Amino acid sequence: MSTIAIISSFADDAQCAHAIEELRAAKVGDFNTFSPIPSHRIEHAIGLKKSPVRWIVLMGGISGVLTGLAITIGTTYEWRLNAGGKPLLSWPPFIIICFELMVLLGGIFGFLGVLGLSGIPAAEIAPGYDGRFGEDRFGVVVRCDEDEAARVESIMKDSGAEEVMREGV
Amino acid sequence: MAAAPKTNTEPSYRDIDRSVLRVMEPAGRAYWAWVGFCFTLVGIAAGFWAHQIYSGLGVTGLRQPVMWAIYITNFVFWVGIAHSGTLISAILFLFRTKWRTAVYRAAETMTIFAVATAGLFPLIHLGRVWFFYWLLPYPNERYLQPDFRSPLVWDAFAVSTYLTISALFWTMGLIPDIANAREAATGWRKTFYTVLAMGWQGTDRQWRHYSMAYLLMAGLATPLVLSVHSVVSWDFAMAINPGWHSTIFAPYFVAGAIFSGVAMVITLLIPMRKLLGIEDLLTEWHFDNLAKVVLLTSLVVSYAYITEAFMTWYAGDPIEQTTFHMRYFGPWGWMYWVMVLCNCVIPLLLFSPRIRVNLRALWVITIFVNIGMWFERFVIIAGSLTANFEPSQWASYRPSLTEIMITVGSFAWFLGLFSLFSRFLPIISMTELKEGIVWLRKALKRDRVRAAA
Repeated sequence: MSTIAIISSFADDAQCAHAIEELRAAKVGDFNTFSPIPSHRIEHAIGLKKSPVRWIVLMGGISGVLTGLAITIGTTYEWRLNAGGKPLLSWPPFIIICFELMVLLGGIFGFLGVLGLSGIPAAEIAPGYDGRFGEDRFGVVVRCDEDEAARVESIMKDSGAEEVMREGV
Repeated sequence: MAAAPKTNTEPSYRDIDRSVLRVMEPAGRAYWAWVGFCFTLVGIAAGFWAHQIYSGLGVTGLRQPVMWAIYITNFVFWVGIAHSGTLISAILFLFRTKWRTAVYRAAETMTIFAVATAGLFPLIHLGRVWFFYWLLPYPNERYLQPDFRSPLVWDAFAVSTYLTISALFWTMGLIPDIANAREAATGWRKTFYTVLAMGWQGTDRQWRHYSMAYLLMAGLATPLVLSVHSVVSWDFAMAINPGWHSTIFAPYFVAGAIFSGVAMVITLLIPMRKLLGIEDLLTEWHFDNLAKVVLLTSLVVSYAYITEAFMTWYAGDPIEQTTFHMRYFGPWGWMYWVMVLCNCVIPLLLFSPRIRVNLRALWVITIFVNIGMWFERFVIIAGSLTANFEPSQWASYRPSLTEIMITVGSFAWFLGLFSLFSRFLPIISMTELKEGIVWLRKALKRDRVRAAA
């Protein structure tokens, strides 16, 4: 049995989310969506968990603090300069360096994390993508066996799809 | 002259895209003449800097005891200008402020270019610019590292972190919009936007990670922006110099930064709205809210001026009191009073709701604020150095042509970069405006009712 892609476009995210709920209930094919804006309705309908990018940012932040401690404490011990008998380690200024590096590495890790997890830079456009999905339409692309296609199409149309098309994969 | 077309008060997602993408169409001669003018001034300023590097700091007006003057004033001024961008893009994002969506991209762009301009001044201020890396954690041949107790080292970390994080945050927000531009563009522009969009398609997977990362970046940028101007203020407050050694400097500088930054956003947006024809996206509602931020921060800054004077009087230190007496009534006293007029008195006009939406009046007021805030930094930095501990050391300062031309060049650099950006990349976030389209429609209807009245 050959696999085909069914591409549907919706005028708003509520209809799109409804179609996804119906698809999940019917347990047919696997799908992905395209949308011009991030939509909580679609996210809830798909049942997406929170993005793991938050752990990547946390790792970046912790690395930043550790880097800050390493360069401030490490360099102080490398050249033990006694300034008027004061303690060698000056914690308040070190906190500033640690804070700045926490933000710096947290941000860099977060940015690279979102690129990596989102699969960008991507040289190829995903099957079924249409420029309108970046503009004002919400798209659902379902990959399913040919014998399930009619059922998928009917779910899409019943959910309010403006347009339903078939494409070979 | 033809009558202006009526604004559509029910814009769709497509209308938003069209309005923003129209701005990115090839520009006319007047635009290129303006950009050329800006970069010619930058070239002249670069020539003056080259002369300064060749001849040494003797070509400036810097003489003992005034060794920090216009260059450091410009540094603080431009870092301050940057702050409103992060306020609008990150802090107001966390507060879910509705009016920020139309203005945040322009404000954030201003942040990037303002920090890039500010970052030049510590270098320009160096007599031997080729040793700029001495501020970085890089040891000399005997493994002596920079002193992490020095506020100047904190500044190097804070400002470079600020520039990096702002640039990443800005780039992240731009990606979905550039993908939109990619779909509409043709020719070399299509290739340009295709490369910059990095294959963004707005899939559920991409939005899921994007939304979480954007929220976290905003969360990181919020304390960062407060830390950056606090650190800048400690460049002064950590010194025992009278006029500088004050505990209120961090909040005082942060409030001043937001005050001057939001004023600069308004100064740029009002002409840009007209010249780029985006009246249907930037409404009076947006300017009304920006003006309220200017008014609030003006009151905070005014309070800080009063507190500073009170602390000096109450502490009873005669040297500190003399410095402040000189600041108010000395040879440069007029600068202080110009500053009070521009920063404390003129912004009070913004209590009037009618003035807040009168864009001409608002533009003039924000120009005064920009002037006032530049004077504030000059009065604090150079003014405090002229009247120091020993009256025998007191001296005046006169900026040289080199310093003036480099200052003019910095404004040209900033405006030139901003102008280039405004025609090549989306100056308004299409994605966020679509997310808040309900509020845009309400604002447009309100404008229509007001115009009819």
